[in-house]
Amino acid sequence: MKKFGLLPAAAIVGLLFFQAAQKPEPEKHPDLNLFDAKMPANVKAVVEQKCYGCHNAESKNEKGKKKLDWDFFESEKKSKQLATMSKINEVLTEGDMPPARFLENKPEGKLSDEEMAILKEWSAGKKKKAE
Amino acid sequence: MKAWQYTGLAIALIFLGVQFVPNDLPEVSQDNPGDLLGSGIVDGEVADLLQTACYNCHSNATKYPWYSQVAPVSWLVAKDVKMAREEVNFSTWAEYELMDQLAILDDIYSNVEEKHMPLPIYITMHAEADLDDVQRQKIVDWAEAAMDIIAEEY
Repeated sequence: MKKFGLLPAAAIVGLLFFQAAQKPEPEKHPDLNLFDAKMPANVKAVVEQKCYGCHNAESKNEKGKKKLDWDFFESEKKSKQLATMSKINEVLTEGDMPPARFLENKPEGKLSDEEMAILKEWSAGKKKKAE
Repeated sequence: MKAWQYTGLAIALIFLGVQFVPNDLPEVSQDNPGDLLGSGIVDGEVADLLQTACYNCHSNATKYPWYSQVAPVSWLVAKDVKMAREEVNFSTWAEYELMDQLAILDDIYSNVEEKHMPLPIYITMHAEADLDDVQRQKIVDWAEAAMDIIAEEY
């Protein structure tokens, strides 16, 4: 009787290992890879973690998607990208993003000081005045 | 006197009273060396359209109609013009960073295309600002072309 009890137990233990080994990689957004070439890796990392959830092509947050779609950003022409960066810089400076109402339910969505600095520096571009 | 007469008198007195509240309509200036119109990036029909449909609020060259001097309309006009100039003031175009000029043009593009601008309440009082689809398209096309030119400078 003892012998028969051992086998299923071993099988279950074995299964646990199997599942652990097969654990899928954390989900990645393949579309974000599109702008590898242009966006610095550290910027992309912050965007992916803190912005992409609402600002993507499949977002249910219609307003967020309409204002900024990261899946679309890199395929846009230079003038549009620069315009978007300027607007990103403004909302960050004003403290409007991520939205306060969103952070009420998801305080961990707040940008750390370091993340904020990374996004601000990138979105500021090279400041240049019209001649 | 009957009750409605008292009410009417009270309203009339309040109306007269509020006329003494300073109206703080934003100042008007016709001398704007940094104006968009002098930047070389816009001319002809689009320049005319912008002046007709946008400049009353989004520039220092506001033409206040008589009723905008009368409270409480003056309060609404003062608030709208003040906010409009903060958002974008074409009279100080040259002071904006290139990237901010691009952001403004991008906003012109979407706000004019989606008919958020000119404001519906403004159009009810200013029929000349009621842009038709052809006029809107001209502004939209210009905004995109101007963005390309500015982005090249960047």
